[in-house]
Order: sequence, then structure tokens, then C-alpha cells
Amino acid sequence: MEPRMNVIETRKLTKYYGKSRGIVDLDMTVEEGEIYGFIGPNGAGKSTTIRTLLGLIHPTGGSATIFGKDITAFGPQIRQEVGYLPSEVFYYDDMRAIDLLRYSASFYSTDPKATEKRAKELAERFDLDLKKKIDDLSYGNKKKVGIIQGLAHRPKLIILDEPTGGLDPLIQQEFFHLLKEQNAEGATVLFSSHILSEVQKLCDRVAIIKEGSIIRVDQIRTLLENATKRLTLEMAAQPDASDFALKGVSDLEFTNHTVSFLYRGHVNDLTGLLSRLDLVDLQVEEPDLEEIFLHYYQKEV
Amino acid sequence: MNVYLRELRAYRKSTITWVISLAGIVGLFMMLYPAFESDVEGLNEVLANFPQAIKSLVNITPETFLSVLGFYGYLLNFAWLAASIQAMNLGVGVISKEVAGKTADFLITRPVRRAQVVTAKLAAALTVVLITSAVFTAVSYLAVVATGASLDEATLLLMASTLLLLQIVFLALGALFSVTIPKIKSVVAVSLPTVFAFYIIGAIGDVLENVELRWVSPFRYFDPAYMIGEGALESEYLLVIAVFTVAAIAATYVIFAKKDIHTAI
Amino acid sequence: MNVFLREMKAHRWGLLFWSLGMIMMIYSGMAKYGAYEAAGESVTAILEQMPDTVQVVFGMTGFDLGTAAGFYGMLFLYLAVMGAVHASLLGAHLIAKEERDHTSEFLYAKPASRSRVLTGKLLAGLVNIVVLNLVTAASSFYFVDLFNRDEPFGGDIALLMVGLFFLQLIFFAIGAAVAGISRKPKSAASRATSIMFGTFLLFYVVNLNKDLGVLKYFTPFKYFEAGVLMADGALDPVFVGLSVVIVALAIAGTYRAYSARDLAI
Repeated sequence: MEPRMNVIETRKLTKYYGKSRGIVDLDMTVEEGEIYGFIGPNGAGKSTTIRTLLGLIHPTGGSATIFGKDITAFGPQIRQEVGYLPSEVFYYDDMRAIDLLRYSASFYSTDPKATEKRAKELAERFDLDLKKKIDDLSYGNKKKVGIIQGLAHRPKLIILDEPTGGLDPLIQQEFFHLLKEQNAEGATVLFSSHILSEVQKLCDRVAIIKEGSIIRVDQIRTLLENATKRLTLEMAAQPDASDFALKGVSDLEFTNHTVSFLYRGHVNDLTGLLSRLDLVDLQVEEPDLEEIFLHYYQKEV
Repeated sequence: MNVYLRELRAYRKSTITWVISLAGIVGLFMMLYPAFESDVEGLNEVLANFPQAIKSLVNITPETFLSVLGFYGYLLNFAWLAASIQAMNLGVGVISKEVAGKTADFLITRPVRRAQVVTAKLAAALTVVLITSAVFTAVSYLAVVATGASLDEATLLLMASTLLLLQIVFLALGALFSVTIPKIKSVVAVSLPTVFAFYIIGAIGDVLENVELRWVSPFRYFDPAYMIGEGALESEYLLVIAVFTVAAIAATYVIFAKKDIHTAI
Repeated sequence: MNVFLREMKAHRWGLLFWSLGMIMMIYSGMAKYGAYEAAGESVTAILEQMPDTVQVVFGMTGFDLGTAAGFYGMLFLYLAVMGAVHASLLGAHLIAKEERDHTSEFLYAKPASRSRVLTGKLLAGLVNIVVLNLVTAASSFYFVDLFNRDEPFGGDIALLMVGLFFLQLIFFAIGAAVAGISRKPKSAASRATSIMFGTFLLFYVVNLNKDLGVLKYFTPFKYFEAGVLMADGALDPVFVGLSVVIVALAIAGTYRAYSARDLAI
């Protein structure tokens, strides 16, 4: 099979804000047609990377290409095929939603009429009233305007920076459907988030960024297989530590009748263990990112 | 073109207000001229008794100050001030409005070069300034000719055209400010004090008869008495305007191209 | 208290620049008087013999231009405009900034009522106005004294400073009311200054056309006109009463509207 083209490729991309770090020597490769998750805690450098790729800020070192073109030299040509949705959307407060979408469409070389038609379809799909002033829209509805302006011109690369805030679960689901459709039609997606489950739902591959550098890139499947879960058990009797001698159990803690631990491994082994215990209550949680960093990556990297 | 049109539309209302205000200043003052003219006859006789040195100190000579063009030159001072504020507002708003309104993210992620954005916005501001000056010149011409006084029409048009030159200077200065001053939250809070500062510097230079200060304040570049006397503008100041405008606009392009647009929060 | 201190800190540089501008303005004006003085009595004699219309156009009606205080009276109008611009911007800016900078959510999620925040802001504004007024007063005394020849002037300047203070209060209150009532935080400052310049233009219209005398109630610049104040040696109780009413209404309106309306986020 012919190797797929790299849509985004960064080489030692670096951005310092004065003396404070944005990103350092960041190497990232996003292949054509994939949905690439970009995950890390606040301040890790996700937005800095994305804003550099979009030409909003200028790198202090290294380089990057999108569609094989250098981001500093070919910004406008690149953005012709890029759609972007920021986490906070701000638009011209004197415009109605339709005015903004028309204004947005007027920038692209694709037929503005077609883009506007597509925008109207999307508005219908998301149940958005385009006649309203943007200023009068709720936060979630402004976000919908953001989604539509980012996708209406059928970009080949969709860049999303923590886009789901403010969207209710139904709209979020619809939004993810839409992204998958666009992806099926050939669009590449770069999706930044600090919510692991969101990335798991949507992405093929995921990069984990920490303190300005990518520390690991994994297939989501690998990540799921290796998924760490936090279990909290409420026991009928005083628990016995020897019952929990199973491969993959870590961070074991006892408090009276309560046991909590992290588990990584086959689910069948875990259910086997649980079936032998006299349980009052059971809670299975996805560990937050901090825990992943502490208990999973610290050991492997 | 889309950015240009959007800007023009956004300026529509304020342009109408400014044009009406400027036309009002001209109309108001020129309406007074007939009464002034009849009073002046008497004043000329009084003036004849004073030595030339004193007359030049008060800036009053019959051929400049007390003619219809001299009178027009006086009102021009007010028009300059108003028009400069308008131009400075336009210039300061060029980029800072997008940054302050947090719409820069939207605009810059479209497939346009930043230079194109600056060009479109400056072109829109220039259009507004041209319209304002054109209307001002037309109203000036009508109002001055309507007084029936005899005058050199070419000099009148020359005097009216100084409005545009000043506007271009302040537009360029404002544009430069808009990319250099971080976080401009209110356009008028930047433009009003700046224009006033130049006005005061000009006034001080005037009092002190300080030639260096005359270079600093654009309000002192055009002397009505010189324009009326010579029928021309002083070329060294025209050169200053040209050099400053080109430099400020070039710097605006260069600085904005390199500027980081920070997160919209 | 926290809001008050924060606003004081936020406006300290602005206040410094406005104070400097005021001082420079007074200096340049009085230096001009010094130049006339040096040329002898005859210059002021010319100015005083100017016909009425000429005097109105140049804003020198009713002053004894042979004295430093009289000349200062002519200058006062420009100081009043400066003070009015400062006060309008300050009033509008203080109230509108939270909405414009999207910090109102932060501020009003704190356990502070809107009226308490408003009080802190208005007090900070009041202090700024008082400081600018005192700077103006001090530099007026200094520069007038510098060029004065033994005529008493203290009473005149003190009276004019009280007038200036009333003007500042009026335009501060109007600025605050515009920002407090309007839901468009971005245009509050330009609206407030437009109102101010509108009343200034009206001042000229009233002076130029005696038939429109009744309009004087609509322009605060007419309430505290230097020539009248200096001739009467006292403030006109009608205008003082009117000023108090305007300020009270504007401030009350600001509190009511700002506390009741939905804030832009």
C-alpha cells in the first residue's frame, strides 16, 4: 500500500513567549485521512501548537508544513483548505449569524454560493436560527456558528481546539457524527482536548503533550487495551490484601472496608477477581489525565 | 474586496456624522461672514494707525486675516482638529478593533495574507477620509462663494485640501499606533489625547515662535497666511508628510506581519 | 474600597498625562499673553477694538485683555473643553470597561452589589476629576501670576475653577450615564464625547446668533462662561441649580439603569 501523505508535519517546532515556554522541539506527524487526537492538560502547549500552525503566532524555532507547504511562507494557500474552530468563539457583534457565514464564505476560492448553501444545511442540522444577531445567541449557539464557519467550505484539514465546551451532549454527538462524515469524505482532523473519553470516541491516533513536548503517540486501540481504570470497592468484610495480588493492579489502598486501586490489563482477569469478593458496591472510573501521566507514562517513557 | 466592503459598511454611520459636523462648522462660520465683513471696514481704519510690527505679532494683516479667505483660514483650524480626530479614530481602529473584539482569530485564520487585511482596511479608511474631504471641500466652496466676496478660487481649494493631507497623516499615525500599542481597548481614549497633544504642541510652538516645534505638530504645517499670500503650500512640510506617511504605513505592514495574535481570552 | 483602589491605579497614568496637557495648555496660553504684553499696550488695544462679530469668532467677548486675568479668561474655554473631554471619557470608560473587557461576569459573581461597585468607580472618577481640577488651579495661579502686573486675579481664577469643576462633574455624570444605560459598551466613550462636542458646538451657535439665546440652557459651556463669571464675580444660581439637577439625574439614572439592566457578557 502506498504510504499516506503527511498533512501536518512539524520539525522541532518551538515557540517561546519571551522567556516562558510555549512548545519546545515539537515533532508531530498527522497523516492524510486520520482523526488525530491531541491531548494534554491545560498549559501543555496544545493551543500554542495549533495557533502556530494557523499562522496566528509565529514560531521562534523549527518548522512545520501543512499539505507539504511551509506554514510561514504559504499561510494563505494552506488556510484555503483549513477549517478552524477555537474553544472560545468571538464574532463581530453587529452581524447576524448569516452575515458572518457569508463573510466567511467570501474568503474562500470555492464558490461562495455553494459554501453558503452548505452553511444553511448545517444550520438546519444543528437547529440554528441564522437570522439572529450573533450577540444575542447563547454560548452554545455561538459555538454552532463556530462549527458551521469552520466546516462550510469543506476543508481538507479541520483543526479543532477544545471544541466541545458549551455543547450539550446531543449537539456534541451530532457534531462528532458530522466530523466522522467529513472524515469519511477525506478530511483530516486534528482534535485537541483535555478529555480522554472524547478523544477515545473520535480519534484514530492520539498524541499526548506534556510541558511543551509530545511524549507519546499511540493508536487509540493500543491505548484502550492498555487503558487504566480506577476501581473503588466497598466490601462486606475487612478486605485482605492478598486477594488483590493480580498482574496489572497498582496504587492499592485500603481504608476500612473500602479498597481502591488502578487496574491495567485484561478485563476478564479483573471480573474473575471481583467475582470471588463479597462486594457491597463497586465503582469503575476512568482515571483523569493526571493519573495517566503519573501511573502509566511515567513508567513507560 | 470583502474586507474592504465590510469595513466601509461598518464606518457608514460614523462617516455621515462626521461629514455633517464638518459641513456644519463651515456653514456656521460662513453664515457669520457678512456681518463680520461690514465690521471689518471699521477695523481696517483702526488698524491703519498701528505699526506693522504689532500687526504681524497679532497675525492680523488686512489682506490675510480680514479677507474672506482669512476668515475661512480661521475656521479651518477647527475643521483640522475635527478631521484629525476622525482620521485618527479610523487609523487606531484598523487592527486594534479586531484584536479588542477578539475577532482577529476569525479573520487571520481565513486564507488571506495579513498584508491583504491591512491593505483592505487602510483602503476603506482612506475612502472614508476622501469622501469626508471631498464633501468638506464642496461645502467650503459653496459657502465661501455664497458670501459674494471676491476671492481666488484656486487658493480656496488649496486651503480646503489641507484637510485631506492632515487626515492622511493622522490616519497613518493611528494605523501605526494600532499595531504598536498593546491592547487598545478604547479607540477614542487613544486618539483624542494624541490629537490634543499635537494641537497643544502646535500652540506652544506658535507662541514661542519655535521652528523645531513647528516640525513636530502637523497642525502647524499649513499656515493660512502663507497659503493666501503665496497660493501654495510649503514644500518642506509636504515632504515631511510624504516621508512620515510612507514610513508609518510601511512599519504598520511589517509590524503586523510579525505580530502574534494571542488567545482570545 | 477594592474597586475604588483598582480604578485609581488603572487611571493614574491617564491622569498624569491629562495633568501635563493641562499645564502645557495654560503655559502656552499665558506665554502668548506675555508676548503681547512685551509689545506694549497697543496689542491689547487692537484686540479690544475688534468689532463684536470678530470678538465672538475669536472667543474674546467680555474680557479685559489688557490684564493677565482677562487674557486667562479667554483661555478658560479651551481648558473647559479639555476638562470636559477628560471627564466624558473617564465617566464612560469607568462604567463600560467591565462589559467591554468581558470581566463583568467575574466582577458580579463576587459578593458585591452593582451599586457598591458603581459607588467605588464613581468615587475613583471623582478623585481623578478633583486632582485634575487642583492641578489646573495651581498651574493657573502660577502662570497668571508670572505674567501679572499687580492686578488682583485670585478671586477670578478661584471662581473659574469652581465653574470648571461643575463642568467636569456634568460631563463625568453624562459619560457615566451613557455607559450605564447603553448596552453597547464599545461605543460608550465615543457617544459620550459626541454629546460633549455637540454641546460645545451649540455654545458657539448660541454666541453667534443672539436669537437662539434660549438654547443656552442646553449647553453647560454657557452655564460657566468665563466672561460672564468674571463680570458678575459670582456663579449664576440658576445655572448652578441646573447643573446640580443634571448631575443628580445622570447619576441616579446610572445607578438605576445599571443595577436593573442585563449586563453584556
